[in-house]
Amino acid sequence: MAVSLSARNITKRYGAVVALDEANLEIRAGEVLALIGANGSGKSTFTRVMNGVVAPDSGQLLLDGRPMRFASPRAATNAGISTVFQELSLVPQMTVAENIWLTREPLRRGLIDRTTEQRRTADLLALFAGTFRSDLAPDVPVQALLPDEKQIVEILKAVSINPRLLILDEATASLDSRQVQRLFELVAHWKEQGKAIVFVSHRMAEIVQIADRYSVLRNGRTVGEGAMADATASDLVALMVEEAAVASVAQRARPSAEQLATRRVSLQVDDLRTAELNGVSLQVHEGELLGIGGLKGQGQRDLLLALFGSLPYSGRVTLDGQAVHCSHPREAMARGLALVPGERGREGLLAIRSILENLQIPSWRDYGFPLQMERARRTAGAVASRLNLIMAGLDQPVSGLSGGNAQKVVIGKWLLRNPRFLLLDDPTRGIDVGAKAEFYRLLAQLCDEGTTIVFYSSDDDELIGLCDRVLVMHDGKISSELAGATLTATNLIAASLGATRQEATP
Amino acid sequence: MRRSRWQDVTYRNPYLFALLLLIIALAVNILLQPNLVASATLNSNMRVFLPLILVAIGQAVVMIGGGIDISVGAIVSVVNALLATQIGINGDPGTATIMMGAALFVGMGAGAFNGLFVAYLRLQPIITTFASSFLFAGLALFILPNPGGGVPSLFTAFYRETILLGLPLALYVIALTLAAWALVRQTRYGRYLYAVGGKPDAAYETGVPVRAVQFSSYVVSGLMAALGGIAITLLTGSGNAQVGDPLTLSSITAAVIGGTPLSGGAGGIAGPIMGAVILGLVRNIISFANVETWWQTFVNAAIIVLALAMPGIINLVRRRNV
Amino acid sequence: MRRLTISPPLAAVLLAIVLFLLSGLLPNGFGNNPDIALAQAINIVRLSVFLGVIAAGQTLVIISGGEGIDLSAGAVVTLTAILTYTIVNGQDAQVLPALLAALVIGGAIGLVNGVGVAFLKVAPLVMTLGMAGVVSGLILVLTQGNVSGAIAPIMTRLIARPVVLGIPGAILIWAAFGALMWLLLERTRFGKHLFAIGTNRTTARLSGVNVTGMVLGVYALSGMLAGLGGFLVVGNTGVVHIRIGDPFLFPSIAAVAVGGTLLSGGKGSYAGAMAGALVLTLITSLLTTMQQPESIRRMVLGVTLLLMISIYGRQRGFRQ
Repeated sequence: MAVSLSARNITKRYGAVVALDEANLEIRAGEVLALIGANGSGKSTFTRVMNGVVAPDSGQLLLDGRPMRFASPRAATNAGISTVFQELSLVPQMTVAENIWLTREPLRRGLIDRTTEQRRTADLLALFAGTFRSDLAPDVPVQALLPDEKQIVEILKAVSINPRLLILDEATASLDSRQVQRLFELVAHWKEQGKAIVFVSHRMAEIVQIADRYSVLRNGRTVGEGAMADATASDLVALMVEEAAVASVAQRARPSAEQLATRRVSLQVDDLRTAELNGVSLQVHEGELLGIGGLKGQGQRDLLLALFGSLPYSGRVTLDGQAVHCSHPREAMARGLALVPGERGREGLLAIRSILENLQIPSWRDYGFPLQMERARRTAGAVASRLNLIMAGLDQPVSGLSGGNAQKVVIGKWLLRNPRFLLLDDPTRGIDVGAKAEFYRLLAQLCDEGTTIVFYSSDDDELIGLCDRVLVMHDGKISSELAGATLTATNLIAASLGATRQEATP
Repeated sequence: MRRSRWQDVTYRNPYLFALLLLIIALAVNILLQPNLVASATLNSNMRVFLPLILVAIGQAVVMIGGGIDISVGAIVSVVNALLATQIGINGDPGTATIMMGAALFVGMGAGAFNGLFVAYLRLQPIITTFASSFLFAGLALFILPNPGGGVPSLFTAFYRETILLGLPLALYVIALTLAAWALVRQTRYGRYLYAVGGKPDAAYETGVPVRAVQFSSYVVSGLMAALGGIAITLLTGSGNAQVGDPLTLSSITAAVIGGTPLSGGAGGIAGPIMGAVILGLVRNIISFANVETWWQTFVNAAIIVLALAMPGIINLVRRRNV
Repeated sequence: MRRLTISPPLAAVLLAIVLFLLSGLLPNGFGNNPDIALAQAINIVRLSVFLGVIAAGQTLVIISGGEGIDLSAGAVVTLTAILTYTIVNGQDAQVLPALLAALVIGGAIGLVNGVGVAFLKVAPLVMTLGMAGVVSGLILVLTQGNVSGAIAPIMTRLIARPVVLGIPGAILIWAAFGALMWLLLERTRFGKHLFAIGTNRTTARLSGVNVTGMVLGVYALSGMLAGLGGFLVVGNTGVVHIRIGDPFLFPSIAAVAVGGTLLSGGKGSYAGAMAGALVLTLITSLLTTMQQPESIRRMVLGVTLLLMISIYGRQRGFRQ
C-alpha cells in the first residue's frame, strides 16, 4: 500500500514568532526524507503538524492526494502516521510491553492475552537484539531503563502500529552508534516494505548515510530540497546557515584576544561534575562574553545550574580568586551571580503575579520593613524603561506579556541587583527579532561595564556574532574551543555534530 | 536517574514494607493475645477490620488513578444511616436485601458526583472531595439526626458469626475482592487506570480515555465505601451518622502503608488490605498492652502519622548516609 | 474564562449584604426594625471574628501552594481553648501567659506539620489530618475527660462586650488583626516570598527564595493563628468543651475559597477571607435562626464550597 504525504504552504505562528512560514514537504512510499535545519528552524513544529499535535494556521496536508485535517494525535495514528517523539510518551511506572501496546492490547475473550503480548513485545525487541542490556525485557518497568533503552521502546511503540509513514524526530539523539546502525538497517528494511520515513536529525553523518532526499528549513521556510546523491554535507550546512543574517542582527565590537588575556580571570571552574557533566573546566575573564554551544542536552543546562548553586556538584568553582561552593541560589546571588533559566515560563516567571513582583522577587530584602513600595516601583520602573519593556503598567500580570517582553522581565529582575556574573540559558529562544536586537545591545553594554557573562545559546548565529570565545559541549564535556578566526558557522556546526577538539583548530 | 538498592527492592515488591509491618504487628499481637489465630478470635477481629479493608480498597483504586477521595468516610455514614433507618431492627428480610442493593447504588452515585467534578469539571480532587464530604456528612445527619435504628439480628448474626471451613466470612470477602481485582488487572481498563495515574499526558497522547477512567475510579471508590458501610452496619447492628468519619484518614493511611503512592500510577489492593489489617492490629495491641485509656487515641494517631511519614523518613536518612 | 470585573472580596461582601437584607423577608429571618437589624448585624460580625482569625492561618497555607491546607486547625483551636481556660482559671493576671501558651503550642504543632510537609514530603492534607488526630489524642490525655478552669473577666470584657460606640472588642481586635495581616502579605518580604512560592516554587527557588524555610514558617504561623483563634473562641463563649474547635475547620477553608483566594496557591488576600468568614457566619446564623438542623447547615456549606471551587478552581485541560 503505497503512501504519499505532501505538506503545502504550512504556516504556524506563536504570538509574534513565526515558527513555520509557508513550509513545504513531499514524501512518497519507500523513501527516506531527511528534514534538516539549524536549531529553531521549525523542524519540530513541522513534524508536529504532520502528526496532528499542532494545528497549522494555514496550508494544506495531503495524504495520498486527499486533504486531511487531524483533530488529534490519535487521528493521525489511525491514518497510519506514527511518530517517535523526542519527549517520551511513555508511562514510567508501566512495563515495556504495557507501554508499547497501550490501548491496543491483544485480547482473548475480552481479557488481555499476556502471552501473546509478551511474545509480540519480544519480537519487537528482537529487532534491536544485542544492542541493549539484558535488563531490557517485556516485563520491566520503563522507569528502570536507561535513556537509550527508553528511546528504543519509544521507537518500537511507534513501529508496533505498523505505520505507513514513520516520523523519527531526533530519534537517534540518545542512541549509541551500534543502536543507530541497527535502526538504519531496520529503516532500510521498512523502506523496502513501502513505508515512508521522515528522518529529523542534527547528525550530518547519519543524514548522509540514510536519507534518499533532503528538505532544508531555515527560519520556518523551506530553502532547499533535492536528492541526497546530488548534495554534499557542506552544501547542506551552507543551506542551513544564513551568513548574511549573522551580520545584520547579532553583532558586537569585541576586544581582541590579547586585550582579553590582560584582564583577570573572574570565574574559574575545575573538573565540575554532576549527573550530566563529566568534568568541565573553564576560565572566564572579567567583562568577557563566553559562549557555550553544542547540540541540545549536552550538559549546558547542568553547567549553568550548578554554577548558580541549584544543583549538587563536585569540583571547584573560583570567583575572583576565591573558592566558593554554593548549595542554594541564595548563596550564589549573594556572591553576585545571576541566572536567566532556560524555561522562561516554568523557571523564570511567576505567571499570575505582577511585573513589579516578578522584577523584585530577588530584591525584596533590600526594601526594609514595611517594604518601601514607592522605591520598589521606582527602581522597577527604571529597569523596565531601560529594557524598553512594553507593558500596561507594573501591576499587569506577566502572563499577559509577549515572549520577548516576558524575557525582559526575567533579565530585569537580575539587572536590579547589578550582577557581576550573568549566566544565560538560551535566553532568546522564542522571542522576536526586535527584542533579540535589543537584548544583544544590552549584552554588549553589560560586558563593557565589566559583567562576566556565560551565555548558552541554541542559536549558532548569536554565538558567532556576539561571543568572545565559544566552548562547544558534547556529552557533558567541553569538546572544542572556538575563538577569533576559528569561530565560524561551519566550524561551530561541525564541532556540534560530534567533532573533537583538534578538528576545530585551524 | 540513578536509584538506590532500597528503591529497587521496594519498586519490585511494593507490598514488602506492608508485609514486614504485618508480620511484626502479628507477632506482637500474638504475644499479647496468644489465641489470635483461633478461628473464633480471628473471626471477631476480621469482622471488625473488614469495613476499613473494603473502604481502603476503593481509596487505593482512586489513588492508583492519580486522585484521592476524602469523602469515603461520609459515604459510609450515609449508607449506615440509610440502612439503619430504612430497615429497622424488626425489618423484613426482603426489604433489607433490597435496601442493601440500593445502598450500593447510593455509593456509586456519590462517587459519580465526585467524579463529575474532578474528571469533567477538572477540579482538584482533594478540595472537591473534601467539599462533597461535608455535603454527604450533612446528608447522613439529615437521614439520621440521632444515633438509632438498626438491622434485624438475622443479618448481624450472619455477618458476625459466619465461619466456613474454620475461616471467617471476612476472609472470603477479601478473597473475592482479590479475585475481582486480578480480573480487572487483565482488562484494558486496568491498564488504563495505571496509565492515567502514572502520566496522564502520555496516556492522553496514546489515546486512553483519561477523563472517563478518572471518573470511573471515583465510582469504584463510592461502591467500595458503600460495601464498607453495609459491613459496618451489619457489624454494629445500629445506626450512627458519624460512624464513617475515622475511616477517611485510615483508608488513606492503609493505602499508603500498602505501597500505593499519593502520586498515582502504582500499587495494588493487596497492600492496602494488609495496611488496613495492620491498623486494626495496632489498635488491638494498644488496648492489650494496657496503654491507659486516655492515651490510646494519641498513641494510635501518632503511629498513623509516623507510618505516613515513614517513606519520607527513610528517604531522608538514606540521603544523609550516601 | 470570563474576566470578573469585580474583585472577589468585594463580591463576597456584597453577597453578605444581599443575604442579610434578603433575610429580612423570611418569617424567621432577621427583623425589619432597623435598631434590631443593626444589633443583629453587629452580632453577626462579632461571631465572624473567630472564624475569621482561624481562616487567617488557612489563607497563608493555601496561598503557599503545593496543595497546602491545614486540617489540624480545628483540633488546635480546641486544644488551645482548653489550655487558655485552664491556665487563666478566672484570673486576669494569667491572661497574657495563657495567650502566650496558646500561641507557642499552636506554633509548635504547626511546625510539626511544616516538618512533615517540607522535609518528609507528606502531602499537606494527609499530614495535617494525621496531626488533627494526634492533637485530639493529646486533648484526651491532658483533660482525661474533664476540664476545670474559667476565663477571666477581662477577656469577657474585651472580647464579648461592647467597648467603644457599642462595637464589641472582638470586632476591634479583628480590624487591627486584618490590618496586620494585610501588612504581612503585602508589605513584607515574607508576604512577597509567600506569593512567589505559591505561584511557582522553581522560579521562587531560582530567584533566591528559601522555599523550605518558607513552608516551615507558614505552617508554624498557621498553627499559631489557630492558637490565637482558640484563645479568642473561649474568651467569647466563656465555657469550653472537647469539640469546641471542630465546627470551625470546614468553614475556615470555605471562607478562604469564598474570598477568591486561589486554592492552588499564589493568589489571594486576607480581606477575601474576612469577607468569606462574614458570608459563612451569616449563612450559618440564618440557618440557625430558621431552625434548620446541623445536617442542613453542613450540606449548605458543602455546596457553597463546591460552587466556589467550580468558579475559581478549574485546572487546565490536556489540549491547549
